[in-house]
Amino acid sequence: MARSDLVIAGYSETPVLFRSGRSAYDFAGEALAGLLSSTGIEKGVIDGLSVTTPLSESPNPFFSVYMCEALGISPTWLNYGGIGGCSATGGVARAMSAIRDGYCEVAVVLSSDAPSTSWRTNYAAFRGEFQDPVGVQGPPAMFGLLMNRYAAQYPLKDEALGKIAVTQREHALHNDNALEKFKKPLTMEDYYASRVVADPLRLLDSVMFCDGANAFLVTTERRAAELGIGKMVHPVAYGELTNVNGSDPCADITETGFSKIAPKLFSDAGMTPADIDCFQPYDDFTIAVLMQFEDFGFCGRGEGSDFVLETDLSYTGTLPLNTGGGQISAGQPGLASGGLNLAEAVRQLFGEGGGRQIDDPKTALVTGIGVIPYGRNWGTSAAMILEA
Amino acid sequence: MSETTATRPAPKPNVYVDTSPFWEAAARKELVLQQCQDTGRFQHYPRPVSLYTGSRNLAWKPVSGRGTIYTHTTVRIPGPGMEGRIPLPVATVELDEGVRMIVNIVESDPEAIKVGARVEVAWDPLEDGNFYPAFKLV
Repeated sequence: MARSDLVIAGYSETPVLFRSGRSAYDFAGEALAGLLSSTGIEKGVIDGLSVTTPLSESPNPFFSVYMCEALGISPTWLNYGGIGGCSATGGVARAMSAIRDGYCEVAVVLSSDAPSTSWRTNYAAFRGEFQDPVGVQGPPAMFGLLMNRYAAQYPLKDEALGKIAVTQREHALHNDNALEKFKKPLTMEDYYASRVVADPLRLLDSVMFCDGANAFLVTTERRAAELGIGKMVHPVAYGELTNVNGSDPCADITETGFSKIAPKLFSDAGMTPADIDCFQPYDDFTIAVLMQFEDFGFCGRGEGSDFVLETDLSYTGTLPLNTGGGQISAGQPGLASGGLNLAEAVRQLFGEGGGRQIDDPKTALVTGIGVIPYGRNWGTSAAMILEA
Repeated sequence: MSETTATRPAPKPNVYVDTSPFWEAAARKELVLQQCQDTGRFQHYPRPVSLYTGSRNLAWKPVSGRGTIYTHTTVRIPGPGMEGRIPLPVATVELDEGVRMIVNIVESDPEAIKVGARVEVAWDPLEDGNFYPAFKLV
């Protein structure tokens, strides 16, 4: 990809709420209005739209078109992203391609969901026969399996997982959009006392499904300037892989898609891990964060626990981690999840981090995880490097 | 601990692909899995094509029912059809035929469920009189 004239020229995010009683449409409206307000653009200039498939509206295959009607947008390019937590970064990458190909000029990447109000997803497929009956009915059990396999191959230290949870919680205290319930400090004692839900996975290793939305403006530097927008960041590399090792039923499940896409990602950006000023990894579970330190080469394979324990991951530290609290401590706004990590990266590069602002960051690495498959790690891995 | 005595709801077959051979064999307490007839390799859960070649030259064939625990967990959160079964030992078992299944571990000391432990197929009764494949330590 490398640096081009394509930019993210604005972002907005709603607060994360639990059982808000509101719909994905309503949250999307709030995110769009916030984006128009923060960028100062007129709605009529938007000619591209990427919408994320939400859990709460998944029975409607035409959700993205309904969304256009709901918002009064008539795009010449419409993308409906069904890669879960990769749909935001993936939506930005696809919007960049569409702009490059001339299908649109000013695209909005919009993710909204309200599964804590209305859960309407039915995975169907093989699950009723071969997965749900054994009690593996959601991500926690699958991550319990992943953690025990990781622990059989590499050192997995509780204190490292706990440090991720405690560090991110500290960051959430500075985030006005974080779920109200999580706005209290967390101690290691709290972490150790946390209920085990699928051994060895604790409740405090895990996200909680909430409601919320986020939106990003993708355009060219030139068009942004014409629209009077001053702040922008450049996506300089994007990588995505779905169903890693998908035709090998006995693949090593500690090998993720991230480890496959990382070398080209850094090479496209002309960077190394040492050039990353903040890391905003998708954080459905603490083990996924720990494994991503390894996958992106911040440390070697199997060294994640020691790396976490030896590194200052706070917003004032050497590798600031999920500086808004991540999903684990801000709340997971359904499948608008990946946009939460992306919004924080853009916010930091815009210098709008408020009480959690990193000192003059120039780069950010953002990732997404989409879907938890049968007995592996995760379905889609996506990563993007942003440059100020 | 009680799942060998509690009867469980029977899954609806043939939702995704034709799985009737699997359930007919289960009724005889025989484990059959989908095998690619071009490569001889097994796959599970069943697929609409061979994972290895993309062809539909697939057949249901018996497997030994013996394998090794690849990983495991204990599920402590409730869900549909799990009444009276919590905490529930779950493992990913790698069969000797080179294919993995996520299963329950029954009739075994929970403390002895470890990565690398040898297991063999056991059968959990279902409400409709059929059986669901589980595994036990050997």
